[in-house]
Amino acid sequence: MSTPVFAVDGLWKVFGPKASRVPASPELAALDPAELRARTGCTAAVRDVSFDVRKGEVFVVMGLSGSGKSTLVRCLTRLIEPTAGTIAIDGEDVRAMDKSRLRELRRHRAAMVFQHFGLLPHRTVLDNVAYGLEIQGIGKAERRARAAEVVAKVGLEGMEQRRPSQLSGGQRQRVGLARALAVDPEVLLFDEPFSALDPLIRRDMQEEVVRLHREEGRTMVFITHDLSEALKLGDRIALMRDGRVVQLGTPEEIVGSPADDYVREFVRDVPRDQVLTVRTAMRPATADEAGNGPAIPPTATISEAVEAVARAGAPARVVEDGRCVGVVDAETLLNVIAGATAGAGDAATGSRAAGAARVGAAAPAERGPATPPPTAGTSEELV
Amino acid sequence: MRNRITTGAALGALLLLTGCGAADMTKQASPFANAQSARTVTLSVQSWVGAQANVAVAQYLLEHELGYRVDTVQVDEVPAWDALSQGRVDAILEDWGHPDQEQRYVQDKKTIVNGGDLGVTGHIGWYVPTYFAEQHPDVTDWKNLNKYAEQLRTPESGSKGQLLDGSPSYVTNDKALVNNLNLDYKVVFAGSEAAQITQIKQFAKEKKPFLTYWYAPQWLFEKVPMTEVKLPAYKEGCDADPAKVACAYPHTPLQKYLNSGFARDGGDAAAFLKKFRWTTEDQNEVSLMIADQKLSPEEAAKKWVDSHESTWRSWLP
Amino acid sequence: MAAVTTTAPRTATPGALRGAPARKLLALALLAALLVPLAHARWASGTWPTALTVDLTTPLTDASTWIIDNRDSHPLFLYVLGHVSNAVVLAVRAVYLLLLAAGWAGTTALAALIAWRAAGARLALGTAAAFLACGALGMWVPTMQTLALMVVAVLASVVVGALLGLAAGLSDRLDRALRPVLDTMQVLPAFAYLLPVVLVFGIGVPAAVLATVVYAAPPMARLTALGLRGADKEVLEAVDSLGATSRQRLLTARIPLARKELLLGVNQTIMMALSMAVIASVIGAGGLGDRVYQALASVDVGAALAAGIPIVLLAVVLDRVTAAAGGGTRRTGRALWAYALAAALAVAVAGRLMDRLDWPDAWVLEIAEPVNRAVDWMTAHLYSGVPVVGGTADWAGHFTTWVLDPVRDGLLWLPWWAVLLVVAALAWLIGTWRTALTATLAMAAIGVLGVWEPSLDTLSQVLAAVAVTLVMGFATGIAAARSDRVERLLRPVLDVFQTMPQFVYLIPVVALFGVGRAPAVAAAVVYALPAVVRITAQGLRQVDPAALESARSLGATPLQQLWQVQLPLARRSLLLAVNQGVVLVLAVVIIGGLVGGGALGYDVVFGLAQGDLATGLVAGAAIVCLGLMLDRVTQPTRKGA
Repeated sequence: MSTPVFAVDGLWKVFGPKASRVPASPELAALDPAELRARTGCTAAVRDVSFDVRKGEVFVVMGLSGSGKSTLVRCLTRLIEPTAGTIAIDGEDVRAMDKSRLRELRRHRAAMVFQHFGLLPHRTVLDNVAYGLEIQGIGKAERRARAAEVVAKVGLEGMEQRRPSQLSGGQRQRVGLARALAVDPEVLLFDEPFSALDPLIRRDMQEEVVRLHREEGRTMVFITHDLSEALKLGDRIALMRDGRVVQLGTPEEIVGSPADDYVREFVRDVPRDQVLTVRTAMRPATADEAGNGPAIPPTATISEAVEAVARAGAPARVVEDGRCVGVVDAETLLNVIAGATAGAGDAATGSRAAGAARVGAAAPAERGPATPPPTAGTSEELV
Repeated sequence: MRNRITTGAALGALLLLTGCGAADMTKQASPFANAQSARTVTLSVQSWVGAQANVAVAQYLLEHELGYRVDTVQVDEVPAWDALSQGRVDAILEDWGHPDQEQRYVQDKKTIVNGGDLGVTGHIGWYVPTYFAEQHPDVTDWKNLNKYAEQLRTPESGSKGQLLDGSPSYVTNDKALVNNLNLDYKVVFAGSEAAQITQIKQFAKEKKPFLTYWYAPQWLFEKVPMTEVKLPAYKEGCDADPAKVACAYPHTPLQKYLNSGFARDGGDAAAFLKKFRWTTEDQNEVSLMIADQKLSPEEAAKKWVDSHESTWRSWLP
Repeated sequence: MAAVTTTAPRTATPGALRGAPARKLLALALLAALLVPLAHARWASGTWPTALTVDLTTPLTDASTWIIDNRDSHPLFLYVLGHVSNAVVLAVRAVYLLLLAAGWAGTTALAALIAWRAAGARLALGTAAAFLACGALGMWVPTMQTLALMVVAVLASVVVGALLGLAAGLSDRLDRALRPVLDTMQVLPAFAYLLPVVLVFGIGVPAAVLATVVYAAPPMARLTALGLRGADKEVLEAVDSLGATSRQRLLTARIPLARKELLLGVNQTIMMALSMAVIASVIGAGGLGDRVYQALASVDVGAALAAGIPIVLLAVVLDRVTAAAGGGTRRTGRALWAYALAAALAVAVAGRLMDRLDWPDAWVLEIAEPVNRAVDWMTAHLYSGVPVVGGTADWAGHFTTWVLDPVRDGLLWLPWWAVLLVVAALAWLIGTWRTALTATLAMAAIGVLGVWEPSLDTLSQVLAAVAVTLVMGFATGIAAARSDRVERLLRPVLDVFQTMPQFVYLIPVVALFGVGRAPAVAAAVVYALPAVVRITAQGLRQVDPAALESARSLGATPLQQLWQVQLPLARRSLLLAVNQGVVLVLAVVIIGGLVGGGALGYDVVFGLAQGDLATGLVAGAAIVCLGLMLDRVTQPTRKGA
């Protein structure tokens, strides 16, 4: 297994006086937010968070406002200085970097897209996009040429000379995206990039990200508070609450087997048939079923299976590499849609590559086994 | 990097411009002097009209007869001495006597030289309007002033009579006088001569009585005839201690003063200003044209110059 | 969002006391009960006890004598201040010669060009018209002198202000140190700045320019710091996220983002510099201010106006052009710009070739005479004896007897500690314990300086003038807020009165109200009124329309709407109006020393006129304290403080 792009371990960010004593003391670290505030005057925005971001994946951090997700993403490039824990990018310790090394990291390896775009109002679109290159000291002609390419890539041809104030929200965020892309970073960080946009435009932009990821396979860390966005984009999702990660897994795992009641409540209204795959629903094939009925791949969603089953009027076979691995029938499918938890345990391990399949890209070759679901201890504590 | 070079160059240029080493601010002329290669004389105009009249005529002659450009600056009396010593002003044409300044600048520092008599004798005193003095002849003796205090009351002076004083720049012992002569009066400072004149004219228009600090020569006498109130006679040295003064103001032959550098190197202009000398009547004639007929100083000077050629011919070098 | 920052703990201390005015008063009463008997036993007198004063006359006189004696010999003057003074003289002279060399036609064309570039064609026409009007009034050379002085002073102010602002914007510690200083400088009357500068540099242009810089730089510094601090946090974060160095961040993001504030700062600086350049004529600034001052000496309102109008025109033009430059980005073709520049240069050269550099005498309009006739007529008919209402002189008399005297006597009758207590109570009720402390200390400093009585005299004039200003200002402001027509009519009037040099209306005021404190108060009211009207009208207009609509839907009468909705909701603006009114009134009551206002104003004028720096500086310091006290007493609590 190759080195993860980001490896985060035991990360803490505490705001307040003498913040560093909080992660250091097991007693303080165990306090809930209100008590911690009362005892120390500190607020822990990120509490003991660990995860890896693998090369080529879209890693979504999801949570409601105040859950610490935006602080978390800023800690990755030390826009906010973490209080404790380790962060490594390609195995290199980020917290140990000196100023110039850190600047290198920000200039070439990780670029960020912001919620309110963060554009320079006094510059044209082209100069905004070229800004990152300008910071790197690249000459005017070259950086403009490169910026023009990226502007075209995000669909803003002909608007190069406009100023941000003359653009719509969606267009502005395209500029923000282009600015991040222009420096050709190894990883793109998105901080709720579309939450300030209208729903229709938001969908367009999501498609845009999907397209970009499909074309370039760039690693992305994506922060959002919107569950459907997380499910749509994420290969894996870390769900945060009060600074902790309460569950980390593929969209299917999160929807199919919520780690606790909080997550369950969260995903209650998700149209399960569009997220879960037939792996969740299939049962072992009986002998006579193995050769009959329509064949569907294991990555098919429940809703696709329903269609197949309904058309055939018989159970469908789930076929992987020419081999029948199970069948789904009307009953099993309905069970899943209704939210029955039967078979959920299997699903956790059974559907690992589903996310990538859904977004239409081939799963990257080095994709390893999913990290195990969060330990029971972490989840229970937060219920 | 380029910025730094530019800054360095600018600093260097500034240093060159200002000249390295010492810069004596007492020898810096006004930035408005000698513009457009004209020879310039800067004259101090005090705030009273008599001084304006001197300057107007001097300016007119310097410009039209001698080809100078004249700048005028209005400065109060004492600061004008400072400005004169620094060369920001070349000449003061009418000085009412400032012994301290004279000692400091003329005797000690030698940055100023006396430019001779103006030809006019100045006198400060207390005055009541003549229409009032005619009705009450005894008001012209200070001993009877308390009798009239009630008639001379104003809202500003409250329960006492009002003695109207003028600009703070003028020489005055009035507070001490009122005190030492046991007068039932309050000194009200008009704060500027303009305010004082306006007030006097308003009183005169209504034929109201008033008592004011005033000085001669002054054009206002032509508009509002006033009679002096006799104070205890002036004796040499009776005004030595400002707090104990109990005598009248002296008669002062008004003086001209020149910056010593200008007196030495000022050429025709300096020679002309040294010879400038006229009478009280001359001065009043011009003052009246300026202040009462509201002619511009230049027009007033032109009128006077046109009709008094014999007087000013002798001033030209 | 996860941006959890520290918020609560700071408010904890004063919070306990803040809610209840009664509690504050109680605390103060306790303190008073403790201290007053002590103070009274020791120094029992109505006025400030002499035992508690410090006489500064001797040291100040010595200092001023030392400076005069050493100005041409001491190294400090020769090697430091002398260069400063020299640089100012050279710079002003260079600009002045340049303006003269361009001639009236060239200067007008260049000014119009700059205005066109910055603010568009309409303002360019206005600028040209204004410059030509200056010439037509026979004020071309003085206008150029003032302009030369202004250019240098504004440039210096902008540089100094921007540097200070940059420091305060980038460093929290410097910001904390500078802010109270700048806040305080903002409220000080211009007159207070003159004396210290004259003391060091003597009468003349260098002193005038430096006083102007000291007066005009603070708004630039404040607004620069504000702009740098107010920059969009996310933009800065984005810049950081791209790996910008702190220099890149400053040059490419923070400064450009603060553009609006920077230009507003330039605008403010220009306006302040212009008003100071006029006042500085008292210390030999020359130019237009000097013409006003000279005209006043011969009681020639017309001539004063002829010099005053160019000042107003300059002010309006500079204000509009810089405001428009700050407003938006405009682009003109480069070619057009080049043509225009060439045209302006051609005009200048043509003027030069035709030897028409000076404004032709034949083109001068004489406005002095008609104006004087009008003023004479007005004063003749209004001064006294108007049937029923009485003349203006009668009003002034009544105002002096029934308002000014009782207020002054009342203030003087109050024991000194009682005055301090009242100040403390007022400041605490309206502000915080901090403002209360500052106000009380400032008031006490006045006593220590030994000018308690003249200060209370000045204070009484300020109070009376503020009362009149507020009554008239609120009434006019309400009228302007309720009717667009009234506001349109008022706007030009307000503009003119705000920019007209205060000197100009001193004479008509004396002609109408006589000599004394009443005309000083009248002049102050005229000066402060525009600002109060403006802030009031603006505040009322900004009241949430939804609140008004709901009041209307409940059937509130217009009067009820005003009393129950608009005025309470505009409370902040109204308090600001009071604060501004107080500060402006103080500035003019001081100048009122020139028309018989007496007290501190007279002392300052006396100090300047007699070169008696001890009297002048002490009075100036007392004015500073008075201004500080009045500002703090009327300053509404800043949010979060």
